[in-house]
Amino acid sequence: MTGSNTPRANSMTGKRVRRWPLRPLSVVILLVLAAVTAASCLITRNVVAAQERLILREQTAEVAAVVGSAFAGAQSSLQLLGQIAGSGHPHPNLFAAGARAVTTASTQGWLVTTKSGTSLKVTAAAGNGPVVGQVLSGAQSTLARRALSVNGLASGLVRDGGTLRLVFALGGAAGPGTVVWQESAISPTTPTPTGPTSPWHSLNVAIYLANHPDPSALVVTTTKDLPLAGGIQYPFRVGADTWLIVASSPGSLVGSLGQAMPWLVLGFGAVTAVLLTAVLETLGRRRDYASALVEERTASLRSAIAERETAQASLSRQEHMAAIGQLAATVGHELRNPLAVVMNVLYLMKVGSKAAEDDPIHRHVATAEREISAATRIVSDLLDFAAGRGPILAPVEVSDLVTEALSVVPPPDDVQVVQRGEPLVIDADRDQIRQALLNLITNGYDAMPGGGVLTVSTTAAPGSVQITVTDTGTGMDEKTRGSIFTPFFTKKTQGIGLGLAVTKRVIEANGGTIAVQSTLGEGTSFTLTLPVLAAMVSAPQ
Amino acid sequence: MNGPANLNRRHTVLVVDDEAGMRNTLVAILEHHGYRVWSAPDGETAFSAVQEKDFDVLVMDIRMPGRDGVSVLEELGRPPQVILMTAYATEDRLRAAAEANVFAVLSKPFDMNRMLSLVAQASEENK
Repeated sequence: MTGSNTPRANSMTGKRVRRWPLRPLSVVILLVLAAVTAASCLITRNVVAAQERLILREQTAEVAAVVGSAFAGAQSSLQLLGQIAGSGHPHPNLFAAGARAVTTASTQGWLVTTKSGTSLKVTAAAGNGPVVGQVLSGAQSTLARRALSVNGLASGLVRDGGTLRLVFALGGAAGPGTVVWQESAISPTTPTPTGPTSPWHSLNVAIYLANHPDPSALVVTTTKDLPLAGGIQYPFRVGADTWLIVASSPGSLVGSLGQAMPWLVLGFGAVTAVLLTAVLETLGRRRDYASALVEERTASLRSAIAERETAQASLSRQEHMAAIGQLAATVGHELRNPLAVVMNVLYLMKVGSKAAEDDPIHRHVATAEREISAATRIVSDLLDFAAGRGPILAPVEVSDLVTEALSVVPPPDDVQVVQRGEPLVIDADRDQIRQALLNLITNGYDAMPGGGVLTVSTTAAPGSVQITVTDTGTGMDEKTRGSIFTPFFTKKTQGIGLGLAVTKRVIEANGGTIAVQSTLGEGTSFTLTLPVLAAMVSAPQ
Repeated sequence: MNGPANLNRRHTVLVVDDEAGMRNTLVAILEHHGYRVWSAPDGETAFSAVQEKDFDVLVMDIRMPGRDGVSVLEELGRPPQVILMTAYATEDRLRAAAEANVFAVLSKPFDMNRMLSLVAQASEENK
């Protein structure tokens, strides 16, 4: 649903190019959610691991308590045997019988040693350990003396040939200088099987008779994989010695749910992030689509309004021009008669005057005649503009026409006229082109109040002929150049600004174009381009 | 310039224009140049005048109230040389004038020297 919107939105705006499949905001949101998810996962993992260790520590303490209570039972047995042995009436047989009563299959022997001088001698024994009368030596002697010195329980490992024995020695149990001794053969590297009732059934446990996990001090283990990796160490006291339990968990202690929690968090977070991003992306794209649609509609509405305004302006301008044209035609025609009469009167004054040749009246009449001519030209321009008749096409020799036009309007004294070009024939309305040339030529003269050169050249171009009228006059600025073809625009003190408007219209009616180039202070150049064949001439308006 | 040309003394001209100013000044100028000049203020009068008398040249406005210059020409059987004047030089009227076989058509206002030379030529042709 989101994907289908994108191409439409793109085609609509036509300019938006998506480089990412996702919007940047969605990418940011996705990244933030992913980071939060990853952090949550790590935190959960740490919490679960801490919980795991806590549970492991508690269970290990439990193991230590069980082991400790077992050792407390052993110490009680040793004390009882010591009292039997030290009751003042030593009865070795009684001691042996008592010892045998607490002997188990794993117990290798019992004995009592009594300090005699500097050596320690066995005074009573049971089991298959040392026999009565034997003097303790080596590691046994060291342990017995340690038990005596602490006057309490000492423990140790004694290697007797190929057998390793765990020894508990209780010093002073049968009176001063006596040690009650119990030893059991152990095989620490053989894992002790664990059952469901075992205190360490859910753990891997190794117990050392040392305060660090020394392999030679190992007493019992439930696994062969020693040392235990990642376990915890739990030291505890047995008599005068420090023992150490190292425990680890082969499985999860917090349960499978706890174990899976970080991954659940990660998975849930990832899904949430993706879904949320998808929702936001969808909403965002819908909004983009909607705003693109609104933008497009707004743009098309605006352009429609602009078009309508332009059309209205053009229509009202056309109506305006039509009204002006009608007015111009009426006024122009009505002015022609009075102008003609005044011309006639001036002529009569001139020919009828009895004044001398140098009388100022002749100058005044000449001035009046000039002004009437100017007025006549304005009227002619107005009527040309208002008439706007279609062209009557016939072959016209262009340079001939230029020569004629130049002869009709002779240049001012200080203007030099140059005509260039070979004879060229086009299909055009001779009178209209002549009128256009006259307008351009007189404009050129007017642009050179201080004199200059007017050049009219005719050149052949593919399918057309160009007539260029160039003056070396005042030139125009850009603003003026943009307005010269507008009716009633003029910069002259004489005229009403129709000459170039009429020129442009008749040239276009003859299928041609008019172009202007001008540099302020250097001059202006008008170029008429007219088709050789009039096939493309548009119908008159 | 001031002296009328003897050559033109016998030439007769009828000036037809509804505008009195135009008519009177034209008459004055032509008389000044030695023509014998009559005038008519409208087409009907002009038509009657031409029926009664042979003129060498007819100088006539096209646009006049009532009967206009072109329709007067159309009814004249054998007209004199005609110079038409118009302030309304539109295509249709010029074409009509051309069909009426006139000597010349002049747009008002016109150059008086041109008018005089046309009148002179027309009188000579009519001889």
